[in-house]
Amino acid sequence: MKVKYTIDRATSSPVRLKRRRSRSTMPDYAKMKKPDVKLVILGDMNVGKTSLLHRYMERKFKDTISTVGGAFFLKQWGRYNISIWDTAGREQFHGLGSMYCRGASAILLTYDVTSWQSLAELEDRFLSLTDTASDDCIFAVVGNKADLTDAMAVEQEGEQEESCPASVCPTPPASPSAHKQVHREDAMALYRRILRYKMLDERTSLPAESMCFETSAKTGYNVDQLFETLFDLVLPSIMKKRDDEKISTVDLEQSADVAKAKSHCCS
Amino acid sequence: MEGEYPQSQEPQNVKCCDSRLDCSHIRTDNLIQDVPECTVQDLWLSKRDDLSTSATNGPSSGQEQDPPEMGKGPEQELSDTGSGVLPEGESIVCVAPVGDPEEAFKSKGADDEDQAENASDSASTDNTLEDSSEFMVTVLGRGKLEDEAPEAGPGSPMLAPSSSHRDEDITGESWRLHRKHVFVLSEAGKPIYSRYGNEEALSSTMGVMMALVSFVQSGNNTIRSIYSDEHTVVFMQQGPLVLVSVSSSRQSEQQLRGELLYVYYQIISMLTKASIARIFERKKNYDLRRLLAGSEKILDGLLNLVDSDPSFLLSAVHCLPLASSLRDSISQILQKAITPNLVFSILIAKNQLLTIVQEKTVIEDARLEPADLHLLLNLIGASSAFQAGEIWTPICLPLFNPDCYFYAYISYLDPPECTVCLLLLSTDKEAFYAVAECKRKIDEGMRAQNALRSIARTQSYSASQVGVSDLRHFMYKPFDVPDNHRQLTQFTSPEMEAPYSSEEERMRLLDLYRYMHSRIHSSSRPLKLIYHVAERETLLAWVTSKFELYTCFSPLVTKASAINAITKLLRWIKKEEERLFIRTPPKYSTTPNPSKSSRASKSGPDRQDNTDNGFLSLL
Repeated sequence: MKVKYTIDRATSSPVRLKRRRSRSTMPDYAKMKKPDVKLVILGDMNVGKTSLLHRYMERKFKDTISTVGGAFFLKQWGRYNISIWDTAGREQFHGLGSMYCRGASAILLTYDVTSWQSLAELEDRFLSLTDTASDDCIFAVVGNKADLTDAMAVEQEGEQEESCPASVCPTPPASPSAHKQVHREDAMALYRRILRYKMLDERTSLPAESMCFETSAKTGYNVDQLFETLFDLVLPSIMKKRDDEKISTVDLEQSADVAKAKSHCCS
Repeated sequence: MEGEYPQSQEPQNVKCCDSRLDCSHIRTDNLIQDVPECTVQDLWLSKRDDLSTSATNGPSSGQEQDPPEMGKGPEQELSDTGSGVLPEGESIVCVAPVGDPEEAFKSKGADDEDQAENASDSASTDNTLEDSSEFMVTVLGRGKLEDEAPEAGPGSPMLAPSSSHRDEDITGESWRLHRKHVFVLSEAGKPIYSRYGNEEALSSTMGVMMALVSFVQSGNNTIRSIYSDEHTVVFMQQGPLVLVSVSSSRQSEQQLRGELLYVYYQIISMLTKASIARIFERKKNYDLRRLLAGSEKILDGLLNLVDSDPSFLLSAVHCLPLASSLRDSISQILQKAITPNLVFSILIAKNQLLTIVQEKTVIEDARLEPADLHLLLNLIGASSAFQAGEIWTPICLPLFNPDCYFYAYISYLDPPECTVCLLLLSTDKEAFYAVAECKRKIDEGMRAQNALRSIARTQSYSASQVGVSDLRHFMYKPFDVPDNHRQLTQFTSPEMEAPYSSEEERMRLLDLYRYMHSRIHSSSRPLKLIYHVAERETLLAWVTSKFELYTCFSPLVTKASAINAITKLLRWIKKEEERLFIRTPPKYSTTPNPSKSSRASKSGPDRQDNTDNGFLSLL
């Protein structure tokens, strides 16, 4: 009786897209909203997942209410649409995690630098959810609330309004107002364990140094770098996906788009 | 009519209604007169010291304070026809079966049945456990018994709102002065939720509550409520959860019970009844806060809504007044945007219901209860922090099916204003992308018709539009909507305008309405018509088989002119009906094989399973 209705990246074929386009009164609008790639933010409650995303999308920090279920956002990145799932960290919504992660190209495992428990939860509770992610999924380990422990993160506030993806900041020296429980080394060790869990070779995967971030949603420290690094890293997976689709279905309009897109996407 | 009220006294007994506040007593389910009081004493023995201090300082010694207005002014009740004046007499010593509180949500009409029962019940007496009630007041009044030294008599600072209720000092005076406390605890006495203050700090207080519940339970009885001078304490047990309301709001026990039920439903809507039962079956002393962590704000929000929104009192949904042609065309947009397993499409504007479209087979077998919709509305309010996104979350509709989840898609159609909210409910956990696609279609449809602008232009109406000079405000809940038993109960009400423009004044009017409501729906002595002259306004409430109406007039209105005004008002509502209410909710069919589905559903509820999307087997 149950009608299984799953739309993965694989099943949302361009044919479907085209049909909708032809019917739509606003073709550009419909076209714009087609997500190309999926990014998921996981982590225990109160580590600041929603705040991180809010800081990135709306350039500000505000008090958020505990997320229910998951929230879906679309981010335009160059010619691409990146869908971002901001999930609830509460155990209550744990059952949905694997659904959010299905076919994901990037997963942000988020912890709170002032809480060792929040890092441990990533391994205990959230890592298994990533089983449904795409095979070439990339992982980032993100320590939020760095402003509580690091002076540099606090100072970032003013200048952070304009994105500067070039300056990947080194970990600043600590002048803690709160006790830092998780150090970057711990996060990097976790990253290596994740690779092992995924049975990936450390040498061929992205290095831990570049995939472990410490951020502050409050001040904006490292937030843009985090998202933009990831976006740039998932682009190849978009390309690959489009290539796959080109092989399976012939869609003149679509392939023309891709060709155009390819030429200037990485600028 | 008088025969129904054997205890009727003289008309000037208005004070009688306040007399309840003088007598402290406990209400329980079964009246067991011979509860050995010594046992009660024993139970409290260890706390004797505190008890004696409370006798001098505690609230139990406090002087009687009348509520601002209620019952002060001359008050008369009219019989159904409006001719005879019924003398009022109310003895609170009666213990009336309040009935299954769930009934209150299902049909207010059931009160008629109660009427007969109540006549006989009103003669019974209760078992008064004076010591214990006094003690309870002490506990609640003082917060934490152990570390409380006797202090000077209570001052009178009013509700002191603190920035975060969670961090509030529960030993402080301000904590005690909150108008309404709500506590949720597990059967093992573990704190689950407190409206004010930290649950952890309140564990001893909650322990005492549980002791009271268990003590009465051990006598094969159920504790229902405790009355004291200033507080009404209402207990409710639902499965493994115990809910307690401690209120100085002078609401009726029945109303407080209804509110507790909402709290319970909200918890169910997050976890499902089945999973709560399962959890506590496995581990009696499980700390449910683990699963509810982060949901406190949803419960806080619910309790604030319950206090400020009359739809909870009336168990009805407030519809946005809208030209029926516009409402129909918007409904059609929703009707067209469907996907398999979609069961409800709901559009909400300005926190009022704009339209609701239902799956055909669903509406045949069950209907969406107002209470379920209230929970959804509260969820929307609580999840609006990040309004640009699209939310996908499991939610259980406790009255629809307390054991299974729906998946709710929530998105605003008009960011960044965020006044028009689309809510799509599916039974399929994985259907997010398909449902999101429906939203795009709806979005396009709305843009094409410029519907958003039309919605933005609509305004709620003002009482002055009725054209009755003395009418300030009213709430009208019809029972005669066609096909009503299948349909959402609705009510209509104008904006609260001057003199009810301030928060306090609005609250005061709502309190008056609550008082009228409690009199109309009194379980011991229900009324059909009540004319109440308050200090600053005159109210008239009237319930018939066709509608329930609460009106508020300027203070100088006469009884005759008020009744005259109501006739005019009813005529006006009749004329505006199409605009004020959703007359015939549209339907769609999204199940691949509806005939088969509906048959499956008739094969009984035991076929449902508890898995996340097991709801489908219900269809």
